[in-house]
Amino acid sequence: MLARLPAGALKNVAALSGARSTSLNAARSLPRVRFASSSASSSSAFESFTNSRVTLASATLLTVGSIAWYANLYGTLPFIGEVHANSPAEEGLHPAQYPWSHGGLLDSFDHASIRRGYQVYREVCAACHSLDRIAWRNLVGVSHTVDEVKAMAEEVEYEDGPNDQGEMFQRPGKLSDYLPPPYPNEEAARASNQGALPPDLSLIVKARHGGADYIFSLLTGYRDPPAGFEIREGMNYNPYFPGNAISMARVLFDGLVEYDDGTPATTSQMAKDVVTFLNWAAEPEHDERKKAGLKAVILFSALTAISLYVKRHKWSIIKSRKIQYNPPSSH
Amino acid sequence: MSLASTFYNTLVKRNSVFVPAIFTGAFAFSIGFDLGITKLWDTWNKGKQWKDIRARYVEEQ
Amino acid sequence: MATVHLSKKAVTIPTTVRTLSSGVPVAPLVNLAARGSAGSGHGHGHGASGPRSDVPPRWAGGVSRTSSGLLSKTFAYPPVTGIHQKSLLHTSAVVRDAPQVPDFSKYEAKDPATNRGLAYLMIGSLGLLSASAAKSTVTEFLATMAASADVLAMAKVELDLASIPEGKNAIIKWRGKPVFIRHRTPDEIEEARNTDWKSLRDPESDEARTKKPEWLVMLGVCTHLGCVPIGEAGDYGGWFCPCHGSHYDISGRIRKGPAPLNLEVPQYDINEAEGKMTIG
Repeated sequence: MLARLPAGALKNVAALSGARSTSLNAARSLPRVRFASSSASSSSAFESFTNSRVTLASATLLTVGSIAWYANLYGTLPFIGEVHANSPAEEGLHPAQYPWSHGGLLDSFDHASIRRGYQVYREVCAACHSLDRIAWRNLVGVSHTVDEVKAMAEEVEYEDGPNDQGEMFQRPGKLSDYLPPPYPNEEAARASNQGALPPDLSLIVKARHGGADYIFSLLTGYRDPPAGFEIREGMNYNPYFPGNAISMARVLFDGLVEYDDGTPATTSQMAKDVVTFLNWAAEPEHDERKKAGLKAVILFSALTAISLYVKRHKWSIIKSRKIQYNPPSSH
Repeated sequence: MSLASTFYNTLVKRNSVFVPAIFTGAFAFSIGFDLGITKLWDTWNKGKQWKDIRARYVEEQ
Repeated sequence: MATVHLSKKAVTIPTTVRTLSSGVPVAPLVNLAARGSAGSGHGHGHGASGPRSDVPPRWAGGVSRTSSGLLSKTFAYPPVTGIHQKSLLHTSAVVRDAPQVPDFSKYEAKDPATNRGLAYLMIGSLGLLSASAAKSTVTEFLATMAASADVLAMAKVELDLASIPEGKNAIIKWRGKPVFIRHRTPDEIEEARNTDWKSLRDPESDEARTKKPEWLVMLGVCTHLGCVPIGEAGDYGGWFCPCHGSHYDISGRIRKGPAPLNLEVPQYDINEAEGKMTIG
């Protein structure tokens, strides 16, 4: 291989390697061949650089080093399968894909379901879970009328102030107030739940891998632990939860709430409604977003098609031009 | 006179007509497009939106 | 890895006859200057100048003796007479009777008027859609500068009119500022309306300052330096600012003191059916 290397390359190797050139002595001692065209030009200097063994060695070192660094930092390598000690079940079963009423590209939320889901949240979930980022006003025109929401807000006392005497006072809620949390702070929440913190549900659909499918599966997935599965006192078995032991007990049972629109309150119906509600809470812009997306896709496709036509139109003069040379007939 | 010639002679021939026609057309288009998309959206999502179920709860008052 | 380097070697072989790229034969060792004996009086290229009529005239070239032999230079292009290598590189244009240019006629529009109409329709549509998209972009961008929904929700205050008895003031907080609401008595209304308002410092009629005569709604910020005036005080039975002594009348108009303007009236709505007032 060395013999096929151009002489210029070898000369550069010797210059680059400097003190470490003992290994290259053999190369240097090769008879110099001078070709007529091998004078140093910029392109042949570049080629000698890219073809040199030092470049090869340092590129290899860089590659191996960066892979080793990545593996050390993140523990895994991308695109390479791994073997894990724990089974997929212990990481939580993958939820099935459910046909959500808002699943399609053009599907809006089912607002009747959001309304029922709010009822389930209010009567069941709100005992432990807060919904900090939703204000009463957000429900207006989504699941309830203004008067209904005002009445619901006024049932809750909020602290406001200070008044003229500089004291805080309690007042009934207004539309601009946020939904009341069940616990005043995290410590109180943990103290009431054996050390477990019920997460805030405002963005829970976005915050959990699997989204709405996962939460529906979790809510309906409680069952007896399989034989041999040790579960601590106060924990519950749920195959969809990572680790399979969850502090939250099963809360949804058939007939737990009474829907005002007469829908039978089965466990799965309540789970579906509350997940739809939570999905709305996480993505209140959902309906407008899909509508705007539809408009944007149509408008930009039309613009692309027309601009392609106009481009062809503008170029047609240049593309169909004939150039004809008539030489002088005589001179 | 063909349709194309009519179009050219009435709208395009004078730039003072063509450019305002484009801007008024854009205005009308954005309204019409919005209406059309809303209609399509409402048809597709019939019975699911708040405005479809609102009547049930307003009458209670 | 190794690249192939081509080496070029120039070998100079003296040839006896070669051909220029124009097809002119060059024979360095042949004495082209040796001309025929036919008499040519002036020898500059016309008339019978030699045994062959196609020999180039002297001005069109020449023969010189060089170290490698005779060199004949020719500047004109005499017809090739018998040489016998094709010219591989054209240095002159090839004249053809029928130039071979593709026929574009099938691309031509059938009807120029329709073609023109379609082109302008497309250009017009492009402008139309772009203008529409640009308008939406600008509108949406400007909308981001508007107050956000939570600010707007806080910016409205609703209060029950029945909670303020006649002849009493109420002070509520609205957007961080106090708002005075006075349920005026008929006497006060009469007093406010009968004032000769045109001669005041900031002339404004009481009708212009109230939506309903019984309800006076004002921002409780003195227009002088921003103190909060005291109600039911001052020389005119209205408000009095303790900081620099501005007196406001029962319609909130400046009557005496340093303040330049009347107390500001915010935007508000009175819903009589429900007995509620919304400020903001």
